[in-house]
Amino acid sequence: MKRYRVAIVEPSAIVAEGVGVLLRASGDIDVIAAYATPAELQRLRAHDVDVVVASLAFVRDIDLLRLGGETPVVGIQSSLADVDTLRRFSAVVNLYSSDSELQQSIRDVVDAPVAEHSHSESHELSERERDVLVLVARGLTNKEIASELNISPHTVMSHRKNIAHKTGIRSVAGLTVYAVLNKLIDSE
Amino acid sequence: MNKIYGLQGAPLLSPEMKILELIETDPSLVSVFQRLNISLPFGDMSILQMCERDGYSCAMFLMLCNMHISPTYRVDATLLTRDMLPELVGYLRASHRYYIGHMLPHVARHLDDILSHCDNLSRSLFSRFYNEYMSFLGEHFREEESEIFAIVEGVENNLAMDIGRLEAPHGDIDDRTNDLASLVIKSLPEAVPTTLRCQMLKDIYALRDDLRVHSRIEMHLLRPLVEKFLKTEER
Repeated sequence: MKRYRVAIVEPSAIVAEGVGVLLRASGDIDVIAAYATPAELQRLRAHDVDVVVASLAFVRDIDLLRLGGETPVVGIQSSLADVDTLRRFSAVVNLYSSDSELQQSIRDVVDAPVAEHSHSESHELSERERDVLVLVARGLTNKEIASELNISPHTVMSHRKNIAHKTGIRSVAGLTVYAVLNKLIDSE
Repeated sequence: MNKIYGLQGAPLLSPEMKILELIETDPSLVSVFQRLNISLPFGDMSILQMCERDGYSCAMFLMLCNMHISPTYRVDATLLTRDMLPELVGYLRASHRYYIGHMLPHVARHLDDILSHCDNLSRSLFSRFYNEYMSFLGEHFREEESEIFAIVEGVENNLAMDIGRLEAPHGDIDDRTNDLASLVIKSLPEAVPTTLRCQMLKDIYALRDDLRVHSRIEMHLLRPLVEKFLKTEER
């Protein structure tokens, strides 16, 4: 079974302890460290952990939380937060998330393939994303799209995630309307 | 000092509260009265008095109202009783009728107004999308009624409930409802007057929020009731 190594950075001892207990209960997630401040993360090296789970309050230290690289960071939300703050985290859970949601967020941010332009703020679809959108609108499955474009199904999923983020549309029916109105495909 | 609990499980409303205070707490609760076909006026009646007058369980009524006004509200499972099951299913069926007979046609009427300002292509695409959306919701409601509610109501048959069935398609409903809003924001032709577009968005988001409450009631009220009183299985 694949295992996920997590470090927790959370100023509240109650929250840190609770998150740790719920993650350990998963069976495949190991909590290797828990700190109260981002500065303490410097004791770790980037390859020691797969994910950092940290309070949204530490958004200003996001580079430290990423261990100076691309380590994904799952944010813990305990109060209202603005959209810009939320966007800086790979995923966000809150104090009312279930144990399974918390655990799945760890697996998702590790297993998600690095997408083309994934950190770009541009809402323009890339050429490849337009190709995928057209095939989605024509009713092809992810597997069929992967075969058509000679890419992996994981990459197709990643493109679809970006398309949903950029267009605000997730369903095939909605994407079809979007594709026709934006003249990416004919209405026939 | 009274004991203070977190939001989860905290009693936000009380049986002694006046109906006027209840509605002032969150005006969207008028739709609960509409669904339950509770007749007005209430005068100075309390929630408890109204429930006694109309034969509803006050505990269940308060749970439903709490579910509507607080996304983080969770019921205390020790307060759940078996006779709440048919009452809750009655409410969920009434909610389905409320969506089909009231909310969806209301959005459709606004959509018709909007589409009268659109070109043929937009008109045909939006109409088809909305018709498919209504069919999708209708099918979802029919499946729930035949696969879940019917089992709950026929408890004497001792059939096992597939508990996972309560979770499956709600994410799809939320996605499609959000898609409708996204298309109105991003893709309706410029010729559509802003007032119509904004009214349509308010309707769609009201529908989305109500469907989310409906889903929360199924997950966090129906599910614990089913788990406590019915034979269940996970497929």
